[in-house]
Amino acid sequence: MGEQGVDETILEVQGVHTFIGQHHILQGISFDAKADAVTVLIGRNGAGKSTALKTVIGLLPSSKGKIIYKGKEIQKNRPFEIARMGIGFVPENMGIFSELTVEENMRVAMLVENEATARRLDRTLEMFADLKKFWKAKAGNLSGGQKQMLAIARAIVNDTSLLLIDEPSKGLAPIIVDAVIDAINRIKEHSVVVLVEQNFYMASSVGDYFFILDDGMVAHAGHVEALIQDEALQSKYLGISEAEE
Amino acid sequence: MAESILRRWNQELTIAGAIVLLLLPLIGIQPKTYLTLTIAGIAMGMLLFLVASGVSIIFGLMDVLNFAHGALFAWGAYVGFTVFKYLMKWVVADSVLQNLAVFFIAIVAAMVAVALLGVVLERVIVRRVYGNHLFQILITFGATIVLVELIRVFWGPNDETMTVPLTFAGNWDIMDVIVYRYRVICIVIGAMVYAVLQLILKKTKLGTIVRAGVEDRDMVQAMGHNIYLLFTGVFAVGAGLAALGGLAMSIFSLQVYPDMGGTYLLFAFIVVIIGGLGSVTGSLVGALIVGLTYNYVAYLVPWAAAGVNILIMIIILLIRPTGLFAAGK
Amino acid sequence: MAGPTPVQIFHEEEKKRQYRSGTFFLKVGLLLLFLLVPVLFPAFKTIDLAMQIVLFAVLVASFDILLGYTGILSFGHGMFFGIGAYCVAFLIGKYGMPSYTNLALGFLIAAIVSAALALLISFLTLRVKTIFFAMITLAIAELAIILATKLTGFTGGEDGISLNTPGIFAVSFNMGDFMGLEITGRVFTYYFILFSCIALFLIMLRFTRSPLGRVLQAIRDNVQRAEALGYNTFLYQSISITFGCIMAALIGGLYAMWVGYVNPESSLGVLTIMLDVLLMVIIGGMGTLYGGIIGAAFLKITQTFLPDLQHLAMDLFPHAQLLHNVLERWLLLFGILFILVVIFFPKGVIGSVNEYLLQRKMAKPTISPSSFTPTPPGNRP
Repeated sequence: MGEQGVDETILEVQGVHTFIGQHHILQGISFDAKADAVTVLIGRNGAGKSTALKTVIGLLPSSKGKIIYKGKEIQKNRPFEIARMGIGFVPENMGIFSELTVEENMRVAMLVENEATARRLDRTLEMFADLKKFWKAKAGNLSGGQKQMLAIARAIVNDTSLLLIDEPSKGLAPIIVDAVIDAINRIKEHSVVVLVEQNFYMASSVGDYFFILDDGMVAHAGHVEALIQDEALQSKYLGISEAEE
Repeated sequence: MAESILRRWNQELTIAGAIVLLLLPLIGIQPKTYLTLTIAGIAMGMLLFLVASGVSIIFGLMDVLNFAHGALFAWGAYVGFTVFKYLMKWVVADSVLQNLAVFFIAIVAAMVAVALLGVVLERVIVRRVYGNHLFQILITFGATIVLVELIRVFWGPNDETMTVPLTFAGNWDIMDVIVYRYRVICIVIGAMVYAVLQLILKKTKLGTIVRAGVEDRDMVQAMGHNIYLLFTGVFAVGAGLAALGGLAMSIFSLQVYPDMGGTYLLFAFIVVIIGGLGSVTGSLVGALIVGLTYNYVAYLVPWAAAGVNILIMIIILLIRPTGLFAAGK
Repeated sequence: MAGPTPVQIFHEEEKKRQYRSGTFFLKVGLLLLFLLVPVLFPAFKTIDLAMQIVLFAVLVASFDILLGYTGILSFGHGMFFGIGAYCVAFLIGKYGMPSYTNLALGFLIAAIVSAALALLISFLTLRVKTIFFAMITLAIAELAIILATKLTGFTGGEDGISLNTPGIFAVSFNMGDFMGLEITGRVFTYYFILFSCIALFLIMLRFTRSPLGRVLQAIRDNVQRAEALGYNTFLYQSISITFGCIMAALIGGLYAMWVGYVNPESSLGVLTIMLDVLLMVIIGGMGTLYGGIIGAAFLKITQTFLPDLQHLAMDLFPHAQLLHNVLERWLLLFGILFILVVIFFPKGVIGSVNEYLLQRKMAKPTISPSSFTPTPPGNRP
């Protein structure tokens, strides 16, 4: 990752349309993720943020448009193929296997079990000490914050160069949100991150670039610093509009 | 904490209740007959377990309710029947080794042939209707018609008599309790299959992935595992177990007939509803409940035997709609 | 809720179009044909064939209320049909004299019994998963057959019950010639059943087009959304299932009147009645009601003329043993047909034709609110 230039784009989504049943959720969405940066997708409920991530990982089929990852079109690939290319995914509900132990959750996540994976596992467990503590416990008995840690840990234990995380702050206490911010800031060093986030505090703490989604399209985009200064934009898409829902 | 204590207490209560229920038939049955019936019930339960575990795990992982499972069961019986027919000398030979050999060959042939049939079924038919329960049931029901009719084309429409390998025939008389040999074999087979399944599911990585898939298929895919290969594999294993069940059952009941799958599919459905869809242990417990009650009631009140399991199923649905051992979902 | 919704406007327009379209004349023609069958083809074989088609077409329509309009697969529909047949047979055959009152009472009891049983099964299964309905109805239907066979004293066992229809429906009744047609009890029975079936069909048509029917389709298409809109899906599904099962029982009663006997295999059988109904609904098309007519006609005509076909094949190709084997196992062909239709024409004949007409009529394909759109079983693995 060090070899890549600062402006290099690792993921490019171009005019993608996605349907869920008969509902046209993504209506020509375009965004990208630059290397060595955290890109944040922001938008109201139903704007299509989660759908965008699921479309990238392939869990939802796109009907039109291109998704280019490391210069390769992946929109026709199946989820497991996309994941093997080095894309990690943390869904909104975290996707924890609650009947399995923490250890088994991690084992399912490890695609290859070699020395490099073992090193990454050590590094990950160092980052999330709680997981080590509850290594043999059923994942379903973990707290919400610990589950989020486990979900992220599963995604970074492989050699991922792009990590898609869907609302990691959802339903977590503020102090745990800080811990998640901490974790993402450390992950940033190894992997590009695309984050769906509604919590402006979190988005502004970790994000470099932002895209605001509205009705399945990108309404605004730019540097997160610019968003922090633009209070009109914030209130339009983050604060007030949520109250309207 | 309180909840887990409650749950444990609940568990112990359940076990105590189960033991009481198990002994209840003693009121109306002589102890020696009771033992014979119990062994018969466990043997039948183990055979039902072989069919039901496939239905259960296929549903748990793939969310597919396979109505063709009964037809696969019948195919297993017929493949075994053919092996017996060609190696009849070994079946009737007064040699434990030859008997065991022919039994083993029949099991392997039935399981492999039907597992392959399962692969074809999954790849050609079931795969097209993932995610749509209605179409799954319809299409697997259609597959049942075709598979059963193919049996009639290949083996003829009539009942055929199945021969018991000589060693397995007859019974032991242990302190005046009559123990049929073949029933013991059935119990051993069922217990072995349960142990192997548990070992695979709990101790191997593949098994762990399957259990993870039962909880959240999408997540398993998004982690880079080829879920479709897994589906095919699980379907094949389920088909193989159905074949083993069919073969074992045909020796148990001394006959094969084209429609034999239907009855046992029903039993399997009752078992998985009682035990909980998606759980192997649930299938075992459900199968034992069905096997034992069937035998007790058939002895005590013969005409009620067919209905009692449906009654148990209805009671379970009323008090615990997801079954005794609901899977993670 | 008030004011014409787009769906209502669509249905209004559809209604207007109906009387001008070719399908309207097709329906009238079909009705005339069935009305004239006893006059034109007085042979018993043809009248019986026509009657079987009518009965099964309406039975399939009642099954379609569950399958196509509620999204619930029942393997117990044959059982409800059988319950109706047995109720009528009990009242005018085994436990009562053939009188009009007893006949009416038989239908009434059939409706009550089937309604109670349908509600019970709905209550047991729908709370859990709708697919449980398929499993449990299969189990209960099997139990019903066992009971009907074993409880010989009550049901007549395997031999079943013969029944005599009262008054003008009696086999012995004969009014003499009328315009060349011999007016017998059979002719009266034919018309009575035909008109009853038409009435039942119209009731079902009305049911599916009522607000209740629309809610059902909304539930079928998306349970979560319907629940979010505040509909009690459990209640609606139970009502629909009960309605469909009562219809099946009434048709069963009519069937018993026509064939004059009931027995477990022909009236209750999962592998006889249910199989036919499933084949018919799939071939005709789910969610159309009219599909049943095509499915029933196709299957009944094929079954009637299959022996002739076998003889013909025997004469033409006396040495093709495989062909004879396959023809003897015609169910195999139907099974393959069944699978192919589910995969490639999930909407059946009527549905596919509708879709084709709709696509031709409109410049760009739109989604019709009345057409059944199950998640198409695409080839995506």
